Amino acid sequence: MSHLSNPLATADQLYQRSNALPIEIQDSIRFYTARLTQAAGILLRLPQDITAQANVLLFRYWVVDDLMAHEFSDVSAATIYLTAKISAEPRSLRSITNVYAYLLSSPSLSLSKNPGSSSDGDGNAKVDPESYYLSEGTYITTRNRILNIEGQILNALGFVTHVALPHPLAITYLQTLDVFANANGKAKELARRTVEWLNTALLSPQMLYLTHQPASLATAAIYLAARETGVKMPDVEWWEVFDCEREELGFLVVGMGSLGGLVEREGKRWGERGMISRLGVREEVKYLNGGGVVDEEVETARLMDEKVGA
Amino acid sequence: MAASQLSPQSNGVSPRSQSATRFRGCSRITDYDILGKLGEGTFGEVHRAKSKKTGAVVALKKILMHNEKDGFPITALREIKLLKLLSHPNILRLEEMAVEHHAKTDKDKRKRAIMYMVTPYMDHDLSGLLENPDVPKFTEPQIKCYMIQLLEGLAYLHDNHILHRDMKAANLLINNKGILQIADFGLARHYDGPVPAAKNGGGEGIRDYTTLVVTRWYRPPELLLGMRRYTTAIDLWGVGCVFGEMLYGKPILSGDSDQNQLKIIFDLVGTPTETTMPGWRHMPNAEGLNIIPKPKTLHQRFRAHGSGACQLLDDLLNLDYRTRLNAIDALEHPYFKARPLPAKAGDIPMFESSHELDRRKNKGQKAGPPPAPKGGTVGMGPNGGWGEAGPNGNQNYSHNDGYGRHHNGSRYPPPPPHGGYGRNGVPPPPPPDGERRPAWRRDDRPDPRGLPPRPPPPGDYHDNMRADGRYRSASREVDRPPLPRSRAGGGPNVDTYIPSYGGGEGGRRDDRRRRDDRDERRLHVDRDYDDRSRSGRTRSRSRSPVRERDRERVRDREDRDREMYRR
Repeated sequence: MSHLSNPLATADQLYQRSNALPIEIQDSIRFYTARLTQAAGILLRLPQDITAQANVLLFRYWVVDDLMAHEFSDVSAATIYLTAKISAEPRSLRSITNVYAYLLSSPSLSLSKNPGSSSDGDGNAKVDPESYYLSEGTYITTRNRILNIEGQILNALGFVTHVALPHPLAITYLQTLDVFANANGKAKELARRTVEWLNTALLSPQMLYLTHQPASLATAAIYLAARETGVKMPDVEWWEVFDCEREELGFLVVGMGSLGGLVEREGKRWGERGMISRLGVREEVKYLNGGGVVDEEVETARLMDEKVGA
Repeated sequence: MAASQLSPQSNGVSPRSQSATRFRGCSRITDYDILGKLGEGTFGEVHRAKSKKTGAVVALKKILMHNEKDGFPITALREIKLLKLLSHPNILRLEEMAVEHHAKTDKDKRKRAIMYMVTPYMDHDLSGLLENPDVPKFTEPQIKCYMIQLLEGLAYLHDNHILHRDMKAANLLINNKGILQIADFGLARHYDGPVPAAKNGGGEGIRDYTTLVVTRWYRPPELLLGMRRYTTAIDLWGVGCVFGEMLYGKPILSGDSDQNQLKIIFDLVGTPTETTMPGWRHMPNAEGLNIIPKPKTLHQRFRAHGSGACQLLDDLLNLDYRTRLNAIDALEHPYFKARPLPAKAGDIPMFESSHELDRRKNKGQKAGPPPAPKGGTVGMGPNGGWGEAGPNGNQNYSHNDGYGRHHNGSRYPPPPPHGGYGRNGVPPPPPPDGERRPAWRRDDRPDPRGLPPRPPPPGDYHDNMRADGRYRSASREVDRPPLPRSRAGGGPNVDTYIPSYGGGEGGRRDDRRRRDDRDERRLHVDRDYDDRSRSGRTRSRSRSPVRERDRERVRDREDRDREMYRR
């Protein structure tokens, strides 16, 4: 069984994405939607591995099908519904539609670090419960949309719903490297940062989970985390043991590290708008095409993309 | 690969990944030419088709959308996900998924596309093969060959933490190269317990699952007794039933209700005791069940098939799931090393294709039995079909005396009731007449009876099933008469040595006693089994007595079981 490897995107599939929308807008859509899925996963109390798989499926779907075919939040909801359904922790459509209605009700929610926190206590006052009440009628239409997209996703993926995640591998690698015995206290921090890097990479519009196998992702995350926490790694080229070559490691380290810059860029572009929608994207594209002001920005972004190797 | 990796051209795709699978969309149903209907699967009908791209003949299994409010059926998704991960010569391969879009003009409510699972076409299912009158009775080397393949496939499944949960002859597909593949993973799921190890039986379960699995005739006693914490051993019971079916030519345990199923199981392998099935008393459905102790009759009934076959059957139909033979050990069973040795898959003669549907069809045409009752209850119809010919066709040893099993259109008992499953609640109804004639009954071809299936070539029974030489060469087998035994006439020896199967009015003591039991059962329902004389009548128990250590284990287990079922 191919438990440890994933199907990867072809070069064609990756290039294809540049046809209709400017690349940086595509990046925005991927980044914002993945982040929405992540927030929904937390509110749905799904184990992170299911949320992570949902985001990988989301990106896979979008290299096959058009980004603008469905509303982004609906695609996010459909992937999380589908992923949870085939896992040991299914979630009802009612829960999922409720969570998405809540997350979309206020711009700040899908962006906040802890989307659940504002509902239980102090932040509560900010969100009016009326704004995320889902009537039966709205629920039915949302449900039907989600189910339709579920079918589209399955069709686009050829029903390949298996996703191998690097997280467990990374822990195994850390054990193999013996860090838990030698890193005197920093080991826990190292493991935590490793997993955080892997979760961060899920949001990367470079779609690292579609271009690299779990073993390489795990190795790169360990590399970054070790550098951060100052845990000493073996002097030799230890990554080779984990089937990751130096160049691939270098690429992934840069790729994973670039997300911080991207978040800043996105913040500038979209401001406090919260989750973006197809409508917002269309307006933005119009704006980009019309005003010459942004040309420089587009150029910079493109250069940046190239540098990063997207 | 290295340097180019950082350049934009490479898109960061490492060359290693080039060999990995890709995600691509489903193909279209229009990529296939539909050739005809084959039968009914868990989700819907199965068609034979030919790929326009590759020319390969495939089976298309339609996925019915039963419960649309939950989207794509979870059972189908599970099956697909499992099959995509599995790769073994004895597991049916899922080639791809094909989609059928509705015509745009078709604007009614059912707008959803229909999905098909595309698998290689297999000529037969085991159940169809066994009932096809034109297929000679299986030879011992042939049975061994199929059994080994079945066990290899199952060992692979179990080793990968998968419970099949619907083991039965109709789910075992066989092609004309003699390859057997396990199919229909609609009820399969991930198994959380430790995988079976050699010499360790089925092990202990660690969590509860639903008991609404396995078609009744193949359902193990622990499931019938309501145990939820079952193990991979449930599949091995099914293998035992299939093995018996191949030996006998018909299903061996065809109960018409769950209670009756238990009774006929106990009739065959003896009533449970704390020795043969530790802790059985504490299983949920055992409460208040009074059972008159009865000895095991298996060895008598299957005597004609030799002691090796009897022993294997006995080990597979072991009431105690903990010590029931697992697939790894079954492959090492002396039966497979004794003569006649297993046939090579390629040496098994080819037969005209036979499927469940053909068989039902055949019955409908030949005997014209009444239509299957709703729900497909088995065992109610008259003895129709071709099975009546043989001298041994009449006396069915199991339940309902006199009724053979070729009674009505639907050979299968209803699958277990399903809570929350998208699976059909009832067995497929017999197809309407004139839909498809079985291959061997079509008019447009020469009478197949004029062209009997090719007999096995002489000298094909020896060894070399495997490269490792596990089966010794037996060139002497060459002079073994390769004549296929005729099904209708009954196998040699069968009638004389197994009164309960074939003897008809053999008048043997055992036979008579059993019939008495049946009468008794008619009067009182199952609860009336008396257990007063429980210890008295157990005889000829061939299993070894419990050792002291086992007793302790048993006691522990009883406590635990009691604890468990109290919940």
